[in-house]
Amino acid sequence: MASRSRLLAAPAFFLMPLLLSGCITYQLLGGVEGGEVSYPSDRLVVGKTTLGEVLVLLGAPAKVGRVDEGDLLIYQRAVLKRNKLSVGIPLADIWHLGIDLSAYGALVRYDRLVLIFTREGILSGAAFEKGSDHPYWKAITSDS
Amino acid sequence: MKCALSLGISLLILVLSTGCVLLGKNTEFQPLDPTLLEPLVAGQSRAADVCKVLGAPSQVVELSNGNAYVYRRSVTKGTGVWLVLVSFVNAEEQHDQVVLFFDKNDLLTHYGVSLNAGKASYGFPF
Repeated sequence: MASRSRLLAAPAFFLMPLLLSGCITYQLLGGVEGGEVSYPSDRLVVGKTTLGEVLVLLGAPAKVGRVDEGDLLIYQRAVLKRNKLSVGIPLADIWHLGIDLSAYGALVRYDRLVLIFTREGILSGAAFEKGSDHPYWKAITSDS
Repeated sequence: MKCALSLGISLLILVLSTGCVLLGKNTEFQPLDPTLLEPLVAGQSRAADVCKVLGAPSQVVELSNGNAYVYRRSVTKGTGVWLVLVSFVNAEEQHDQVVLFFDKNDLLTHYGVSLNAGKASYGFPF
């Protein structure tokens, strides 16, 4: 009797995913835009380093722009991660009614270096943040 | 009995592996050959010389003391794997970019080059 139930359990075990497909789905999505961004603070000296030196050191920026006191260069890398879990019973075609519960969390983290230059092309300010270092689950569950 | 269990597990793996795989590539084309930049000399070349060599820029940005011409080419590589219950999708976009700075007289003052488009790769999001 026990061996018979085991024999029935084996096909049921591999049929379950087929029966559940469409009802439970988990999706993990990732994306990266831009190259690595670093901040060589020892080689970027406010009041001394020139625009030309920065371009030689770091290459072309992702963005350039104008600010009140001069110009700015932005070096940026975006890292996207998205998790989605859906649980549903797709009965809409039969009953025009279906149950669908889904939860997802998407997070884009930026590694960003912003350099501000005077009109004369001298570095006047620098800011760097490595957002990709923030843990995904901690960042996505925090209220702030 | 062991044989039936092995068969069941094998079939489960087979069922879970059923799905499809997608590899995609998207290129926003702008020819950026670094050797074309060699004749451009800061303090001598003008915006017109640059346009003659590189063509029309992707973007022109007005700066406090002149303009910046941006030439950009991007390559995106996407990977997708759909299994029965789980799916993984990943995309990576990288750029080749040249930014040239001109003064108010359209004279080239500096330029920066980043060539990363070739580094775009297929992969998984973990």
